Amino acid sequence: MSVAGLEFALIILILVSAVITAMLRDTLASIIVFGAYSLGMAMLWVVFRAPDVGLTEAVVGAGVMTPLLLLAITKLGREDVERVFAKIRWGPLLGVSVLVVLLLLTVPALPEVGDPDSPTNTHVAPYYIENAYEETGFVNIVTAILVGYRGLDTFGEVTVVFAALVSVLAVLRREELI
Amino acid sequence: MTLTTTALMASAIILAAVGIIALYRATVGPTTQDRVVALNVVGTHAVLVIALLAAVFETHEIIDIAIVYGLLNFLLAIAIAKFSMDRGEVL
Repeated sequence: MSVAGLEFALIILILVSAVITAMLRDTLASIIVFGAYSLGMAMLWVVFRAPDVGLTEAVVGAGVMTPLLLLAITKLGREDVERVFAKIRWGPLLGVSVLVVLLLLTVPALPEVGDPDSPTNTHVAPYYIENAYEETGFVNIVTAILVGYRGLDTFGEVTVVFAALVSVLAVLRREELI
Repeated sequence: MTLTTTALMASAIILAAVGIIALYRATVGPTTQDRVVALNVVGTHAVLVIALLAAVFETHEIIDIAIVYGLLNFLLAIAIAKFSMDRGEVL
């Protein structure tokens, strides 16, 4: 009985709930199972020793997403369905399966987690540590990397957050922020 | 790993596995109430698994996540119950 056993059980829970979320035809049932998916993800983040990500997953995944999706279906309406599960279309399933197998084939080529000789740890990281303070003038190296070297990337993230805010306000039908 | 941590880990694995059984009830239903209770069961298991992991890893920061989940579980059940009661009001 080790961490690997718990990881296995949690991954099964997450995979099953993800597939059921996609397959259920009733939107309310789908939202409820999606809540279970989010709970499983948060447990997995804690197993991976990332409590900050686990906390974010708890608050955003379970706390914000479920009420927001419920609000969305109150606006959209929820149709009555006779079938519990959607019909499986075999063509797209085959295509996706082939893609998954092809992507999994590349996994053994990845460097080990925390390997000091991997390309991510030998090229960019030492450069940042040596030159970040002189080149950017920031007092914090994390801020220098996020806003300076990866500025365009961060700008894209801000755009995504802005789009999310606009959609939340549209769902809530609030004109001004309180 | 000592005997205590092994026992704690084993209970965490069993709780996670029982969560899969609760997922069956959340899927099949047939009523919304069944699904909400099943989701609450999975949520309670999440709180327990995270608390057990805090004991295994001997860190206290993880306990905070368990507390947040205890609160959110309540919020989730209330939100879904309000939705299924009067159709149109969630918050």
